[in-house]
Formats: sequence, C-alpha cells, structure tokens
Amino acid sequence: MRGCRSCLVLIALSLTLVLGFGASVFGAGETGPVRIGLQAPVTGQWAYEGEMARNCVEIIADEINGKGGVLGGRKIEIVVGDDQCSPKQSALVAQRMISDKVVAVIGTYGSSVTEPAATIYEREGLLNIAYGSTAVQLTEHGWKYFFRTCFRDDRQGAFFAEFVNETLKVKKVAILHDNTTFGKGLAEAARASLEEAKKAEIVFYDVVTPGERDFTPILTRMHKADPDVLYFTGYYPEAGLIIRQMRGLGSKAVFVGGNAAINDEFVEIAGKDIAKGALMTQEPMPTDLKYAESKAFLDEYIRRHGVPPSSPWPVYAADALKAIAAAIDETGSTDSAVLADYIRNEMEGLPGVTGPIGFDEIGDRAGAIYLAYEVTEDGKFQPYQP
Amino acid sequence: MPHGGLWPCRLRQSPHAESMALFIEQLVNGLTVGAVYALVALGYTMVYGVMRLINFAHGDFFMIGSYLGFTLVSSALVGGAIPLWAALILITALSMVGVAILGVVVERAAYRPLRRASRLTAVVSAIGVSIFLQNAVMLIWGPRYRAYPSWAVPDVSWQVGGIYINLMQILILAVSFGLMVSLYVFVQRTTVGAAIRATAIDHDTARLMGIDVDQIIRLIFLIGPALGAAAGVLLGLYYRQIHFTVGWTYGLKAFTAAIMGGIGNIPGAMVGGLLLGILEMLGAGYISSAWKDVFVFLILILLLMFRPTGILGERIAEKV
Amino acid sequence: MTEWDGRFSLSSKLRLPLSAVKSLPSKWGISVLIAIGIIFPYLASDYWIDVAVFWGIYVLLGLSLNIIVGEVGLFNMGHSAFFAIGSYTTAILSERFGLSLWLLLPLSGFAAGLAGYVLAKPIIHLRGDYLLIVTIGLNEIIRITLLNNPWGLTGGPNGIIVLDQFRLFGRAVQHPIDFYYLVWVFVAITVFVLVRLQRSRIGRCWNYVREDEIAAQAMGIDTRWAKLLAFTLGAAIAGATGTIFAAKLVVISPESFTFMESVILFTIVILGGMGSIPGVILGSAAMMVLPELLRNFARYRMLFFGLAMVLMMIFRPQGLWPSRRWTTILREGESE
Repeated sequence: MRGCRSCLVLIALSLTLVLGFGASVFGAGETGPVRIGLQAPVTGQWAYEGEMARNCVEIIADEINGKGGVLGGRKIEIVVGDDQCSPKQSALVAQRMISDKVVAVIGTYGSSVTEPAATIYEREGLLNIAYGSTAVQLTEHGWKYFFRTCFRDDRQGAFFAEFVNETLKVKKVAILHDNTTFGKGLAEAARASLEEAKKAEIVFYDVVTPGERDFTPILTRMHKADPDVLYFTGYYPEAGLIIRQMRGLGSKAVFVGGNAAINDEFVEIAGKDIAKGALMTQEPMPTDLKYAESKAFLDEYIRRHGVPPSSPWPVYAADALKAIAAAIDETGSTDSAVLADYIRNEMEGLPGVTGPIGFDEIGDRAGAIYLAYEVTEDGKFQPYQP
Repeated sequence: MPHGGLWPCRLRQSPHAESMALFIEQLVNGLTVGAVYALVALGYTMVYGVMRLINFAHGDFFMIGSYLGFTLVSSALVGGAIPLWAALILITALSMVGVAILGVVVERAAYRPLRRASRLTAVVSAIGVSIFLQNAVMLIWGPRYRAYPSWAVPDVSWQVGGIYINLMQILILAVSFGLMVSLYVFVQRTTVGAAIRATAIDHDTARLMGIDVDQIIRLIFLIGPALGAAAGVLLGLYYRQIHFTVGWTYGLKAFTAAIMGGIGNIPGAMVGGLLLGILEMLGAGYISSAWKDVFVFLILILLLMFRPTGILGERIAEKV
Repeated sequence: MTEWDGRFSLSSKLRLPLSAVKSLPSKWGISVLIAIGIIFPYLASDYWIDVAVFWGIYVLLGLSLNIIVGEVGLFNMGHSAFFAIGSYTTAILSERFGLSLWLLLPLSGFAAGLAGYVLAKPIIHLRGDYLLIVTIGLNEIIRITLLNNPWGLTGGPNGIIVLDQFRLFGRAVQHPIDFYYLVWVFVAITVFVLVRLQRSRIGRCWNYVREDEIAAQAMGIDTRWAKLLAFTLGAAIAGATGTIFAAKLVVISPESFTFMESVILFTIVILGGMGSIPGVILGSAAMMVLPELLRNFARYRMLFFGLAMVLMMIFRPQGLWPSRRWTTILREGESE
C-alpha cells in the first residue's frame, strides 16, 4: 500500500516536471514558424463560438501561408488555448501562451473572461487582440497591448436609440437583457442613449436567465407595460424563445435583437412565420459587405464547413489575425511593443473581412457602421427598409 | 396567428378578472414545467430509493433524450407514410428505449463496481459520467444549439375563459400524468413493483426473499432514464431549442424537486416537481425574473427547516 | 480467567488515531517533497508554475471543505459560496477603501466564517442529502445575488477588478513564482494547523460525530456545536483563500463561483479520500492538473477527464490516499 502511494506521487510529480521542461524548451526560433495564439472556448457551453473562431482563423492562416507566410517565408502556426469561457482557465491559458512564447494572441470571447488574461498579457508585454469582448471597460484601463476588432457596446446602444427615434419613430420601449457582461452592457448603453435623447420612454427593463427556456411570466409582465418595441440584447437561443413566447401571449411589439441574436438558429427556434419581421441591430454581415475580402472569405468558409459562421463574433478573430500578420510584415519584427505601436498609430484601412481595420488610441476598432436587419418571409436576414 | 385577434377581448374584462386570468395562466405554465420536473425527478428518486445514490448524470439522460428525439424528428420518419401523431409517439418511444439502454450500460460500467464502496464514491463517479456524456454529445451533435423543426408540432392554442392554453401544454400534461400514474400503479400493484419496494427497504433481506437485486437495479436504470428521455423529447418539442448543457440546469431543478417532495418517495417526486414548477413561474411572474431562483431556494430552505425530510418524506433517522 | 490488564480498551477504535498518524508520509518523505516543492519553480516554465499556483489554491479550498465533509461528514456541495464571500469581501473593501490585502486576508476569512455560522445555524440539523441540496441552494442564492448587483456593490456580471497586490518587503507579489511561494506557504501553514487539529480533542470529537452521531451525543458531545464549529472554520479558510484568488485573478466575477465549482471541490475531497490531508492534495492535483495535462486532446479533453474520474473511483473507491481511520470504518461497514 505505502509503496503504491509513493509511486503515485512520484509519477504525478515527474510527469509535471517533464511536461514543464517540455513546454519551456519549446521556444520559437528565428527561422521556425511564427506562432500566434488563439485563446477561445473550445469546450464547455460556448464551445460552438470557439470552434467557429478556430475555423475562421485557420482560413486566414492558410491564406497567408499559401502566399508564402510572413517575414519572408516564415509560416504562421496557430496555437489554440481552450479557456472554457471561465476566468480561472483564462488566466492559465494566458500564462501558457507566454510560456509557449507566442508572438501575439487572438482572443478571447466573453468580456469577463478577457479581463484576467489581458491583465497577464499586459504585464508580460504580449500583444493581444480580442474578437468578442465588447464591454466598454476593457479599453478604459489604458492598456498598451490590448486591442479589439469587435465594436464596443455603447456604439451599438447609441445606434439602437437613433433607430428607435428616427426610423421606427415609436414612443414606448421595453428592454430585456440576460445578465451576461455583453447583454447587460448593451442594454445599459441603449438605455443611456434613449434617456439622453428624451424622445422615447422606457416602459420596461428587466432580466432573463440564460440557459432557461420558459420566459412567459416575465413576458406577461412586459406585455402589460404595452411597449411598441422590445429590445432583447442577449443571445439567439433565448431570443428565439422570447419572440415565440411573446407572440403566444398576444404581444405585437416589434422585436429587435442585438448582434448576439442574429443567427440562423434564431429563425429555426422561433419558426419562420414568427421570426418574420423581427429586426436586429448589427454590424454589416460578411454577406452584405461590398469588400472582396468578405465575399472570398465567406465562400471559403462555406466550402470548408458547409454553412457560414452562425454568429457574428468569429469573423472578428479572422480580422485580428489579419491585423497581426500585417503588422509583422510591415515592421519586420515579432516584438510585441513594436507591433502594438504600429497597430495603434499606423494601421489604417487594412482590408479586413469585416471592413477596413484601424484602431483609435485606446485600442478600439475605429469606425463602426451599424445596420438594422429584418428577417424575411423565407427566414433570411436582409437590411431593413422602412 | 389565431390568438392575435383574441387579445382585445381580454382588455375589455374587468381588472380583477384579468389579473385572475393572468394568475391562472401562470399556474398552467407552472404545471407544465412542473410536470416535466416531476418526470425527471422520478428518475432521481427511484435510483435514490433503491441505491441511496444521487445520480448526477440523470439530467444528462434527459438531455440525450432531447437529442435522440431531435435526430429522429429530423430523419425520414416524419412526413413519410405515417401520420404526424403516430410518428411523434414512435419517436418518443424510440428515444425512451435508446436512453434506457444507455442507462443500463452506465449502471453496469460506472455504478455497479462501486456498489460496495461508500455512497459518496458513486456520487463522484456519477459526476464523471455526467461530464463524459455532455462532452460526448457535444462531439457527436456539435457544440451549437440545435432546434426541433417547427413543423413537428403545430402551434395551436385555444382561449378558455380568458386563459390561453396551447396544444403542447396539454400534450405535456397528459403524457407526464399518464406516465406518472402508470409508474405509480406499477410500483404499488404489481409483484415486480413489490420487489422494487422491498429492495428499496433492504437489499440483503430482499435477496433472502428471492429477489434478484441486480435485476431490480437494472430495471430501475431502465425506467428512470426512459422517463427522463420522455421529458426530454416533450420539452424539445415544446421549446424547440436544445443544447448539451441543458442537463445540468434541469437536473439540478429536478433534484431539488425530488428533495422537496422527500427523496426516495415516488408521489413525493411528483408533488415536488409540480410545486417547484408553480413556485418558479409565480416567482418570475410576481416577484422578479432575476430573483426567481433565489425565491425558489429560499422556499426550499424554509420548507426543510420545518420539515427536514421534505413534504412526503418519512421521519427516519438516517445513518450517514 | 486472566486478569484484565487494561489493554483491552486500546483495541479497535481507540487505536485508530495512532494509525492515522502512520498514514502520513514519513519525515524523510516530507523533506524530499518540500525540497522538490522549493526547487520546482526553477525547473518549470511559468505556465506550469501557474498551474501549481491554482493547484495550491484548490488544495486550500479542498482542505477547508475537508473539515466539513471529511472530518464531520456534513454533505456540503455549496462551498464555493463561502469562497465567493471571501473573494468579494476582498474585492469590495480593496476597491472602496484601499485596504491592504494582508489586512483583508483575515478580514475576508472572518466575513466568510461569520456567513458560514449564520447560514449554517438554521440548517445544521438537516441530514445527508437534505443538507446537500440546501447547501447547493445557498450557493445559487449567493451567486445570483452577486450577479444581480445589489446596491451597486458587486458589479453584476462584470464583477470587480482588484488592482492591489500582496506586498512583501516592498515588492508586489505578482509573478507566478512569487505567487507560487505565497500560496504554498499558506498551504504548509494550513496543513500544519489542520494536522494538529486532527489529532486534538476537537478533531477526535468531529470524527466521533461523523461515525455515530447518536453515540457521540450520548457521550456528552454537543454535536450541534461541533458541526457548527467545523462549518464556520471551513468557511473561514475558504474565505481567506478568496483573498489570494482575488489577487491572482485580478477580476472577481460570479462566473468563478458556480455550482460546478462547488462540485469540483466536493469531488476533490472524495477523490482524495475523505478526511485525509494528503488525499486532498492529490485530489486537487487530479482535478486541477489533470485537465491541463489533457490539453493536447483539444476538444476531447473534457471527455477524457470525465472518463478518468469514473476510472479513478472504480480503481480506488476509497480515494487516492485514504485516511486510515476512514478505511477501517468502510471495511467494517461493507455489508451495509
């Protein structure tokens, strides 16, 4: 018995040591591939987001490698770190990226997961570009190495307010969010913008719990407030159920979703006849962009995986890689400080999948165009025409 | 939409009648969800009754039921030669069989080797099984949310005295009550049922009475997961949206229901499930959606403070 | 008839605490382990040091839960609630009043201990699985409360950012290596205290309550007091660990304190072997280090992890390093 136990401990320890050595020996040489990290939730509840992000990044990496790589012939190699969308795992992945000596990191998804990782990257001076973290606070820390290719919540919130006041011209607005960092951030931004404009009144503001499937009690209360429009800022699984259940209760309020709700599964869950006429606020989707890059990227994605990415975020991961690769090529360096400096000050109008890529001085993506989309009769999304 | 035009009728009712109708509507909603909790809770309570094991993987049986149903609905079975209602019955039955087989396999592989060990050991094994099943489903069906096709169940609802009721709610209530009553009769009135009850009281004595305890446990692991699978298919049809993480949410709720009613007690699981469903809906409807679960768990704690073994649980001194 | 020589009473249960002492590794073994522990950071990469830091944090949490589940036999599956209270106490007080983390460490422990006492008091009489679900309920109540941002205190889903660091000799504890030593020194202190406690009157009293509550009561032990003491102490250690966690993670948000987290802590105690301190250390390694070792399996890693949990239980049902006292009882109780 005793011997057996000691063996167990020894095995565990030596395994740890060996792996520790292994990881530390593995630094990238001057001629080997350029290693770029992708931090994403590959398992767990948000696994579908992580998987699509990896798919997107792989397409761009293959494209760059097909053209001869960066820095005169060095290939790009993607190192995937699974953070399961958990803050604790996120800190570990960040540390692993640093030990793996990657040149820069793409990621991650989810704002409260980004925070611990970005803190570590900042301390260690490693360039990181988030693709799905839209919380306003992230770029307010004055971080030097943090950027994001997605747009901040407050811009979308402001767009929604303008849309309500100028296009829909309605007076009574209900807002529902899902208590995730993203959903709440967007809801609060929308509320602030509406209150500032003082044209429409917010008659209902409440929260649903993500992962649940029966929202009739809260929708009954919302219906009693009799809004003209409901803005739901959460994700599509709940959005599909909410529109169906509110129609079941007889509510005729216009349903507007945020850019986490725009998704083919939204139509599937709601059903085509119910989803019809629902609106979404969203950056232009790849399919509606006039840029050649968007079209080519989307075709390639469909060729590889059969369907286009079902949510808006993963595509920003592709653009994050584009920005990193372009910075490496332009500066001829893999030093994060040089790269971050270039991205902040000089990168402008780099053709990306989601439009020209450029950043302002706090690291936010410059320029944001939002559109309202409408669900058509046959369950497709098209730009809204009043 | 058939109901859209009916809405103004209700606005003309007196405020009192309207709030009454609202209350009854919430109650019906609560009953529907509660019936499903009860079906899942039965699996917990039966396994617990016979093996003193909290089967943390049970919620995942429910989830896999949803997925099997989804695959079958999307397959060629529906829209072919047989009418929709027959296809739906067949699909539910097939999913129940599939999950029941899985239940027996899990019992054989992960729980039987631990029957002689401390009961907490089996709990950890069950947690491992749960993690395994969730990830297996994620790898097989993909990590995305899936949706039952909308034509599988027609969206029909009626208005009865100012209350909206839809077809799926009636179906869920009918099927779950049907299953629960048959289970109750089976356990209380048949010889095999008597054997189950005997095994629940004492394995060794049951064995002395000529009962094959292994066989009974296998039977429990057929029935429990099958009921869970039925609940999974029903809820899949009702909400349409399914995901591989849904097992934890519903498993926790159903376990709460089983404890509320007094774990190990079959009518207790039914009462607990219905009560939990109604509490949840009333909490969300009249208090706050964000604080709903706090409300539910507070009621649970208060209940157990005054009735330490649940509503129908017996007051026996348990030796841990 | 031989004359009774008094040795009779030393048989069976009374001798057990002595054998429990034997089940700890020898002095030689401990010194080797400590030596490995000290040189480890100089051999491993920062990433593995960080893994060891989180391992240490989970050892602390596991030890705190072991008092409740392992020593007294109370099924507590909501332990991350107390961990959360400690973390949030640190985060809120550090954010609002800029208190030093060294001061917040005992303060958070005290807050969580107090919460443990107050919350456990009305429910401590519940048995087995009823207590289990109530603690799960407490966990959910506290997590949802944190999420709903009462009085703007907790920052809702965003959580709170902890900008302060532990400061030692004028230097901030920030690097993985610094954290490594900080955490494992705390582990060493806690282990030392708990081993003393295990062998003390209180420890024996706890085990007595676990083995047979009615007999313990009959012998004049105030079982309610004994259970409450364990609960309070366990909660306090978890709360103090929360301060270290907050400093390490920088941001404290409700996502870190889910029901799943409590399940992991519970699993650590059972997997290691109930009531066994070395068991907790091995159990946390299994729950924290194993998923890291499985990283190369990418999407399959949690699948293998689940499988590994089942296999570990099947091949070592009494835990990876069972406490001697506990195994003896298990063997006696096998026919049950």
